[in-house]
Amino acid sequence: MVAEIITSIFGDLTPLAAMIVLVIAALVMPGIQMFGKKHTATWAIAMIFVIFAMFIDMCLLVDGYVGYYLGVYFDQYSAIMGLLFLIVLFLVVLVSNSSVETTRNHAGAYYSLLFGATTGMLFVTTSYDLLTIFVGVELTSISSYAMVALKRKDGRSAEAAVKYAIIGGMSTALTLYGISMIYGIAQTTETYALAEFVAYNTEFNWAFMIGIICMIAGYGFKIAAVPFHMWAPDVYEGAASPVSMFLATGSKKMGIAVFIQVFLVMFIGAATLGTIYGEVAQYIFAIIAAFTMTVGNIVAIAQNNIKRMLAYSSIAQAGYILIIMAVMTPEAMAAGMFHMFTHVFMKGGAFLIVGALICAGIGEKISDYRGLAKRAPFLAAAMMLFLFSLAGIPPLAGFTSKFFLFASALGTPGDASGEWVWLAFVAVLNSAISLYYYARVVKAMYIEKGESTEKFKIPAAFTVAIVICLIFVVVLGVYPDLLYGFCEAASWTI
Amino acid sequence: MSMILSSLILIPLIGAIIALLMGGSREKYSKYVAIGFSAVTLVISLLLMLGVFGDFADLSESFEWISTSTFIMNYSLTIDGLSILMVFLTALLVLLVNVFSLDEHRENNNYFYALIMAMEVGLMGVYTASDYFLFYIMWEVTLIPMYFMISWYGGPRRHYSAIKFFIYTHVASLVMLIGIFVLGYESVEPGMAVNFSFDAIKLGIANAGITIQSLIFAMLFFGFMVKMPSVPFHTWLPDAHTEAPTEGSVLLAGVMLKMGSYGIIRICIEALPDAAYVWQWVIIAIAIVSIIYGAYGCIAQTDLKKMVAFSSISHMGMVMLGIGCMSEAGITFAVFQMFAHGLITAMLFMVCGMTGHKVGTREIPLLGGLAGRMPIYATFMMIAFMASLGLPGLVGFWGEFPVIMAFYEFILENDVIWMLLFCMLSLMLTAGYYLWAMQRTLFGPETTKIDLSKVHDVAHFEFAALAVLSILVAFFGVWPDAALQYIESYSTILMGVI
Repeated sequence: MVAEIITSIFGDLTPLAAMIVLVIAALVMPGIQMFGKKHTATWAIAMIFVIFAMFIDMCLLVDGYVGYYLGVYFDQYSAIMGLLFLIVLFLVVLVSNSSVETTRNHAGAYYSLLFGATTGMLFVTTSYDLLTIFVGVELTSISSYAMVALKRKDGRSAEAAVKYAIIGGMSTALTLYGISMIYGIAQTTETYALAEFVAYNTEFNWAFMIGIICMIAGYGFKIAAVPFHMWAPDVYEGAASPVSMFLATGSKKMGIAVFIQVFLVMFIGAATLGTIYGEVAQYIFAIIAAFTMTVGNIVAIAQNNIKRMLAYSSIAQAGYILIIMAVMTPEAMAAGMFHMFTHVFMKGGAFLIVGALICAGIGEKISDYRGLAKRAPFLAAAMMLFLFSLAGIPPLAGFTSKFFLFASALGTPGDASGEWVWLAFVAVLNSAISLYYYARVVKAMYIEKGESTEKFKIPAAFTVAIVICLIFVVVLGVYPDLLYGFCEAASWTI
Repeated sequence: MSMILSSLILIPLIGAIIALLMGGSREKYSKYVAIGFSAVTLVISLLLMLGVFGDFADLSESFEWISTSTFIMNYSLTIDGLSILMVFLTALLVLLVNVFSLDEHRENNNYFYALIMAMEVGLMGVYTASDYFLFYIMWEVTLIPMYFMISWYGGPRRHYSAIKFFIYTHVASLVMLIGIFVLGYESVEPGMAVNFSFDAIKLGIANAGITIQSLIFAMLFFGFMVKMPSVPFHTWLPDAHTEAPTEGSVLLAGVMLKMGSYGIIRICIEALPDAAYVWQWVIIAIAIVSIIYGAYGCIAQTDLKKMVAFSSISHMGMVMLGIGCMSEAGITFAVFQMFAHGLITAMLFMVCGMTGHKVGTREIPLLGGLAGRMPIYATFMMIAFMASLGLPGLVGFWGEFPVIMAFYEFILENDVIWMLLFCMLSLMLTAGYYLWAMQRTLFGPETTKIDLSKVHDVAHFEFAALAVLSILVAFFGVWPDAALQYIESYSTILMGVI
């Protein structure tokens, strides 16, 4: 019903509907700030745009809309991934006005950049051509560099932005180089055509493989896969918490979407047929996944800054999600997408709490969290649930999604190939390691005594956002069907 | 569909939430909430046991909870002769622990009672679940309250012990989780969805090869064995017990350890009987090592509570031995031993906890002649010790001796009579360390190493809890059939299957 109205308004442009809303928002935001000079009004208008875009996307998702317009393919997959990015955007915008870290004087520019970045993400999910995907990724990346730098009074912010921009530029160069080599050999940049090329080409071409490896490296930077992860902790630490959250939950998921749309599409046929490229690619991804989760988890143990700890933990989480690239089955993909969703809520929730506590004047060190349970019982309890969910303790969302994800590594039911059992073992071991550093924070909050016992208040917007995350972390844990069905449908369209 | 079994989980859950919310000035009433809700749970489980709600088979509840193209997970609960005793034990001990704790006031009482009730939720879930997914979730749910129980209300080294307990058992459960994955994946034909209900898996896995079955058995067994705990994965237990508050120790030893042996019978033996025969000798070897090592460890302990912790390892080894016999008698009395040990160990830990609390130390060398000052305390301690060492007429006797009888049958069949030596050694050691400990603490000249002038005897509520347990220890000692009838109805069916 509602979907029909949307179709009639946007006509042929329906596949682009949510993006159009975001682009308009990105264009008008600086203007509103300039003329209105009221950051709260700017924020309210931004919220309206976000909710509108989310509404459109959700209607199209529930309706099962499929459309095509000038190289933009909109299907169940685009809708569900789009929803994920819009949820991230919603949570980030919701708290941005109350956060002391995001400079209010630049509210217009800040929202504009956020909308621009999200547009890029949505654009990526509708593209099946190396070049258009590249354009989407760049749109997001360039907006993100500027966003990281917006916390102007903090030297760490500028350092993080420069680091992020330089490394990002390098990864862009690598990616482009890879794409050019692939084009030179396969004579196409469309991923489905490349998939055919890979599946039916039994001769191993080194130049083509080097092109692929360059692209893996380039996009590996985006998702901070080991060994391309060095920038992530510095950037997350330097940026404002809402921005860190946007990068950890949004940008990173875009990187995974790129992996799915480029590499999964390209190699899934070859992997099923068992031809040479498929095998090699699967092993490359399996090794990257295993290293990413292991390094992420082990280094996280040594962190004292909570933002850095969360950064390493999201590196580890990216490692878990990369399992889908090694296994390459629709089940794995559905599980991976579901894990991305639960990760948005649990990691997003954790970053929100860090942001809220910074607003209340509490530092970023784990030692600053001592005795928090006495000072802010709700925040401490919420943080504990988010961290336990990240560690995979049932019955929270993180457990359910990890359960699906690790199970998919064993193969399909009744036909367990056993090829990736070792990967599942590594992942489960990592889960156990991760419990240690999450429990450290819980211990600091609940068991150790703090210097201050003073209670404090946090902005209402943060409370709302945290409550939303909390509800989803619990509900998706006990009732995953809410989203899992959509993830399965999406995985079959790919 | 009846909701009786769900109510066993829901009532403690509501109690936990209410107690949790009773902060500030209402804190002192939280104990009554906990007692009220746990009493209701106990009444329901008693009525259930007496058959007021009808046949066990009619009480099953099941509905599909999560269903995707690859998995079907159910919220399904069942009860039978094996689980009813564990449910009763859980409900009983939780109520008694709540009553026992009334004499002591601690900071944040409401959290304390919420943790106890939350633990009851998980325990009830474990003992009634008949779906692997639900079982695993409930298994993990018991972990977190216990972690907080130790690290908030425990002794001086509580942080270390709590984290050790948490990580040790969590790693074990992750191995078990992988076992469950493989079990599910091997139990269906290609292209079908995995149904995680106990019955579906039991049917499906029978077609899998014996090698893969043995592998799965090993993974699941490892998970359960750490929980029981068996040597060499027992090291978390003495630490956890020494530091845990009395109430935590009672629940930990009384019902949480039983989760391990319950899992072995319910999952390993029921679903993978062929693999159990493959591993039979390993099970028996582990059991014997646990029995002897646990008993031997007891002699060396100077801390009364640590001694009881080691005796738990030894007695749970006895349970494992019964299971390892894989005969009807073996399994029946292994389950009875679980039940008996639950009652006795609760008494033991209450008594030890009181020693620490009232006398000020639990170090055996510092104690002596307490019987004169604290006659009631001494009486309870003697009952507990005597029951634990297997005095005929008390419940412990019916746990230990029939298990050894069953084992005797087993060694006759396999022509390894010399293994009887181990049993005799263990009995001697058990009697030895208990009598010796009793002599050093209760009798002889009154100690001069510590000040005994301000020592009080057992308080009212503590007395009530211990008296109830003593009565039950004697009741099931003279009339074991009251519990055995349930177990036999279960083990007869089980032996028909395997």
